[in-house]
Amino acid sequence: MRIAHSTRLKLRSIFQGRKVESELDEELQFHLENKIAEGVGAGLSEKAARQAAMRAMDGLEQQKERVRDTRGIHWLTDFTDDVRYAIRSLHRTIVLTAFVVLTLAVGIGMVSATFSMLDALIFRPYPVPHPGSVLTLVSTTHDNSYDNFSYREYLDLRDKTTSYDGVIAYADMQAVGFSANPAATPRVRGGMLVSGNFFQVLGVEPRIGRSFRADEDQVPGRDAVVVLGPDFWRHEFAGDPSVLGRKVRLNGVDFTVIGIAPDSFPGLQIFGHPDFYMPMAMVRSFSTNPQKNFLEDRDDREVNVKARLKPGVTLQQARNELAVLAKNFESEYPQLNRARGAAVHSSFEMRTRADDVNWKFGVIFVILALSVLLVACTNVAGLLLSRARSRTREIAVRLAIGAGRFRIIRLLLTESLILALLGGLGGIVIGYGIVQWFHSYQSVILMSDLPVAIPFQMDARALLASLALALLSALLCGLAPALQSTRADLVNGLKSADVDVPGRKRLWGRNVLVVAQVAASLMLLTAAFLMVRGFQHGVLESTNFPKDHLLLASFDPRLIQYNPSQTKQFYKLLTERVRSAPGVQDATLTQNIPLGFDDYEFEPLAFVPENFQMPRDRQNFSVLTDTVDEAYFRTMQLPILHGRVFRESDTSETPRVAIVNEQFAKHYWPNADAVGKRIRLDSADGTPVEIVGVTQTLKYQATMETPMDFLYLPLAQHPVTRMTLTLRSAGDPLQSLGPLKDVVRSLDPNLPMLLTRTYEDYYINKAVKGPSVAINLVGAMGVVGMLLAVAGLYGLVAYNVSRRTREIGIRMAIGANRSDVLRLMMGKGLILVGIGIALGLGMGFAVERLMNAMLFDSGGVDVLAYATVVPAMLLITVLATYLPARKATQIAPTQALRYE
Amino acid sequence: MSKPTDLVQGTLDLLLLKILALEPLHGWAISLRLRAISGDVLQVSEGSLYPALHKLEQEGWITAEWKQTENNRRAKFYSLTRMGRQQLESEAANWHRLSTAISQIVQLAEGQTSEA
Repeated sequence: MRIAHSTRLKLRSIFQGRKVESELDEELQFHLENKIAEGVGAGLSEKAARQAAMRAMDGLEQQKERVRDTRGIHWLTDFTDDVRYAIRSLHRTIVLTAFVVLTLAVGIGMVSATFSMLDALIFRPYPVPHPGSVLTLVSTTHDNSYDNFSYREYLDLRDKTTSYDGVIAYADMQAVGFSANPAATPRVRGGMLVSGNFFQVLGVEPRIGRSFRADEDQVPGRDAVVVLGPDFWRHEFAGDPSVLGRKVRLNGVDFTVIGIAPDSFPGLQIFGHPDFYMPMAMVRSFSTNPQKNFLEDRDDREVNVKARLKPGVTLQQARNELAVLAKNFESEYPQLNRARGAAVHSSFEMRTRADDVNWKFGVIFVILALSVLLVACTNVAGLLLSRARSRTREIAVRLAIGAGRFRIIRLLLTESLILALLGGLGGIVIGYGIVQWFHSYQSVILMSDLPVAIPFQMDARALLASLALALLSALLCGLAPALQSTRADLVNGLKSADVDVPGRKRLWGRNVLVVAQVAASLMLLTAAFLMVRGFQHGVLESTNFPKDHLLLASFDPRLIQYNPSQTKQFYKLLTERVRSAPGVQDATLTQNIPLGFDDYEFEPLAFVPENFQMPRDRQNFSVLTDTVDEAYFRTMQLPILHGRVFRESDTSETPRVAIVNEQFAKHYWPNADAVGKRIRLDSADGTPVEIVGVTQTLKYQATMETPMDFLYLPLAQHPVTRMTLTLRSAGDPLQSLGPLKDVVRSLDPNLPMLLTRTYEDYYINKAVKGPSVAINLVGAMGVVGMLLAVAGLYGLVAYNVSRRTREIGIRMAIGANRSDVLRLMMGKGLILVGIGIALGLGMGFAVERLMNAMLFDSGGVDVLAYATVVPAMLLITVLATYLPARKATQIAPTQALRYE
Repeated sequence: MSKPTDLVQGTLDLLLLKILALEPLHGWAISLRLRAISGDVLQVSEGSLYPALHKLEQEGWITAEWKQTENNRRAKFYSLTRMGRQQLESEAANWHRLSTAISQIVQLAEGQTSEA
């Protein structure tokens, strides 16, 4: 009541200020007049009575001020005054204001866009209640610090740990053949196998329907129920709630829809958003590895494990508990768990894992964007400094008539606050544009049939960060000029509109700004250059086999429930018929392709080389493999350096064979021919596999990877269900698409073809366009940084010239010639450029080391980068100082002396 | 220039509330009334009057209204609100307690002990 009352009065004085003021005036006036009348009645003269009355009231204006104080809105009226004044004064210099806002917008936009990337990759919490307590449990080996657990191990973790309020398991999202009714041809959608307690433990309540019951995850193959993802439900079923209870067909099996996940829960993964979730007990319909029994084999490690930490239990306690459990596994199952540990990680630790490259790009982008912002801020600070200097007189007047220094600083800071807010708004627009631009590359960056999406967005978190940045830059840009201009010498300040108070302090600030600009933009350009070179390096070395005339199509017979012998028969007929199709020269089956598909990882293989001295602490090594048929090296035109290719005579009945790459051969047999050597699978007494050939080293996963060991297994000895057909055509590979489709239709019209595209297209996207997104981004930062630095430098020299016009006039009048003047004006600019370039070189080296450590691993110093960037920078900066300095030489002494 | 001795903290509020409890008045009338009631004993600076009135208004204890005076001039009349009446009662009670206590202490005969 009382608060409501006083708030009403406060609001009245804010919004009807004029009326309130005039009423106050009238009230006091009324009092004064009565008082005077009283005095006159007592015999005083009119004048004396007025004086006495004023005295009695301690002055009219003072009373007014004291009354105003009682309203408690002083801070606000002062602030609105400041804002009104600041807007007026910014409006007066509209061009400068626009330039400053634009500069800040570019800087803030860069940072907010890159921050939104980093946020999505690292910081954004899981979309579940209390995300902080959700931890990830991983199995660890020598070769893999982030291995999965097997289902059996998961059950042990779930039942034997006490630190958690529930432990969940889920398999990676996988391609699932989906049809809304039995008659429809299956289409590929992304499904995820999850444990029965998945939704409960995460605290995710379905939007409608229910989530899994615990008993629906206990009997293998019994409970065919499915929970749909929110987006999938909306797109596939138009958000129809009656879909609950309906049957849909997944990989040929009817599943009953029991629930729809809420919009707030697109999934736990950063990129992948599953279309639906199935209970793990239904794994038989989705099994990825037919040779293994997912639910029984302790070494079929395919499940990710997360757990919700109990309140009051520390991370360390959870770690200790898991360490003990891992030791128990090792002693209980010495064959399967030798040298295998386990670890607990927070989401931050999982997302910043050393073997993931995405977040590192994010970090580098943010660092570079911050330096763009730094350049922008120094530029703005420089401009505000010159602006403040031309206002020296105005400020001196204000100080002289009694404004406090703090009050003036507040006013100037309000100005930069307004600039920064405008810049921040502009930055949000630019950031949004950059993120949209990034999204336009989605299909290039993520080539997949599964529901994956670039998660970067200008959400509330990114907006908040942008505004915080804007405020910070307001302080950064505004404080120094504000402090400096209020320190002005009053006497001199009043005398002239623009004084140059001699003293090093004042110039020092500007010099630092210019040096910082030159240095930061040199660093940015270096980074851009290095990124281009890093990617080029990777691309050139990657895959020098002929990439044109190759057509890809993947098949997954599990989608329509083929058994292993049906699968084998299908692939046999497929390759036979495709090879005889018109326009097809050759065709091969592989599990994956060079620069492999994102959806399919290369399978790791544990092995021990025969007669090899194993390090004491290791049981075996691990190598990534591809499974290929006998036509692979021929079709891909990959040279075999020693030995032979796979033959049809390599069958499941004959001794096992493998082909390794050069890197592998040199690694284990540096001084001998690897051909004829043998490795053992899993351990020293495992199945022997003879190496029959050595092929050249390629790039297998990414263009940036360092040369890695690699091994090929023959399909006949290592059957895989999901394979990619690669065919080499005589002419345009897309011409072969029709015949290929005919062949597949003749074999089974229900089998979908996945990821159909030419290899060249795939390669260009993956190796050229994808990296070009990064190159363009960093390049743009470098160019923007340089432009800003040039503008700053130009501004500084031009400003000096205009300020010293009179001095130059005098110098020329008493005999200085043009080159003297040029030297005078350019000299200092060039020294600053020199210092800036030296510093920038140091920062460039630092960035190079950072990029090498995080991304490219090329080592050494890229001399060409510096040899290109430094002279370019030098040329441009010299030009930026020369142009305004030349203007100085054109000053006519007669005019200059009359100046002002 | 030193200001006239101010009243004991808070007593001006009490006086103003009490005066307005009798009838709604404008500022000038209040100052006349103050002078008349307190005579020369209490010096109320006319300067403190308006800030004090505005403060009471902010607190919601009095409310203001523009009305015609008997001389047909517009003036701001203050009157007590319901809250103001409660405030007056509690402040008056306070004042009474305080003044009783103080006068008791002042009237203590020398040599008397605190047990008395």
